[in-house]
Amino acid sequence: MEERNSTEETPRNNALAQRRSKSYRQSMRSCVEATHLAYTSGLLTALRIPRSRKAPKSCDITKQVDPDQVALLVKKEWQLSYVTPLYQFRHTQLKSYSKQLSAFIVSEKQQGLAIEVGQELGFKVNFSVVLGLAETDKDAETVFIQILSKQAFSAKDDAQKVVWSGWLTCVNGDLDYLRSLPLEFVSLPLFCTRGPESLTVLVKSWFEKTFDCCFGPLGINSTNLQWLASLWTGCHPTINIQYLKLVWTLPTLPPMDVTYTVHPQDAWELWDSMRQVDTTEDSISIDEVTGFIKGLQSHFFRHFRIDLSAGSLMQISTALGSSHHSGKIKIASPNYIPTILQLLTECALLKMPI
Amino acid sequence: MSLLKPFSKLPGLNTANILLVENEEQFQQKLADTVVLQEKTVNVNVRLARSLPLPMENEESRPRIDLVVFIIHLTSELSFQSAETSLKYLDPGYFQGKVCFLVTNARNVSVPPERLVSVRKLAASLHCPLLCAEDQTTEGVTTAAHRLLAILKVAAGLVPMATGLYLSTLTRCTVPSDIDQQNFE
Repeated sequence: MEERNSTEETPRNNALAQRRSKSYRQSMRSCVEATHLAYTSGLLTALRIPRSRKAPKSCDITKQVDPDQVALLVKKEWQLSYVTPLYQFRHTQLKSYSKQLSAFIVSEKQQGLAIEVGQELGFKVNFSVVLGLAETDKDAETVFIQILSKQAFSAKDDAQKVVWSGWLTCVNGDLDYLRSLPLEFVSLPLFCTRGPESLTVLVKSWFEKTFDCCFGPLGINSTNLQWLASLWTGCHPTINIQYLKLVWTLPTLPPMDVTYTVHPQDAWELWDSMRQVDTTEDSISIDEVTGFIKGLQSHFFRHFRIDLSAGSLMQISTALGSSHHSGKIKIASPNYIPTILQLLTECALLKMPI
Repeated sequence: MSLLKPFSKLPGLNTANILLVENEEQFQQKLADTVVLQEKTVNVNVRLARSLPLPMENEESRPRIDLVVFIIHLTSELSFQSAETSLKYLDPGYFQGKVCFLVTNARNVSVPPERLVSVRKLAASLHCPLLCAEDQTTEGVTTAAHRLLAILKVAAGLVPMATGLYLSTLTRCTVPSDIDQQNFE
């Protein structure tokens, strides 16, 4: 025992204990899928999982953004992915990007034939900028991409229809992170797509080749779905949400899906009672959100004897929008776009492997 | 309150007893079978429970429990809460190297990262090791069983020159300080 005591006192043992905990931490990090950046200890690229958010304010987004462009974004269901920063992406070269992307798509669809950039092609791509969505100086402007194509069997003079659309955006991204990026990189971490999967894959591979970035699927985990449910319920006084619907999946055999629809006034009263006394404060904390969901779950348990916390939250929807666990989002009302996009940008930034 | 006490009974010769506590009762069966098959030199008894406190009827016939393992599935919030409530029924003497947390689905994309953070904080505050296990494949179950056996043999006093308390100072879960900075604003 004597020698054991002395080895414990020397600094070498201390360093050993410290190194052990650090290597444990590093091996934890490599086990964690997609590197949740909250565990990184680097000062420049550390991101935090937020514990409180600002309450959403109804803002007339048409003051900042062109109403036609807003109409392109709302009332459609988008599939989400995250993108790593794009190398040398210039907002000024969108026309050349359109031509290159359309040539790429056509050449991929017709493998083996040489395609000249600039020819009249079956697919036409439109890159455009949606000004006004970026909240801070560091956010890059949103880029909207549309792929138009003639329908099969259409007459010669028929206009081309939009077959695929997508947009890259960054709203209120983490300032420390954006400042730490080298100058050549543009960060537009959230990628929303709508359309055939084949075209999505082509667009992603073109981006990966041209801008050296990586795409990945972005799911919305149950905590963020709970945030969305509470933020939307909190909007009830200003705009009627009409219903609050939550869908859970329980791990029974066979798996059971529970759809729980709440009357908006009841949901609002429950949410209001959860809000701390000082409701003049702008921020909502995660405790209020978990309390709200726990209240709904315990009410369900009292009536049906099923504990919903044993399952996982899959989908939430209100009249203001809906969101699914697999990464689908639909925003129905243009008034709260910045808040929702800010939440999704955070998810994308946290999910990114760095 | 019927606390589970670590030293109230005599140990058996060349025997180690492990208690697996799991709310869902799925993984513990596979793990128990693998643990018993793997260990050849020591008699290992595996007891299974859904939660603590353990039933009073078995109090007399139950042997001394050397290691209590809480199995937490990160995919459900209920799993974590049930483990937390069961902790109250353990005598404080257990937290000196005779309790271990085993977590499954830590790499799962759909699991919110906050849940793993709270399990880590719980394990760190109790000075217990936190193991991550993969419960779907046989290699995962075998690895988890192997690691539990290593800790079990020390906790049962079958490894010379090592005690549970000494091992727990080396293997206990730590939470890096920047996990606490959660303010986004």
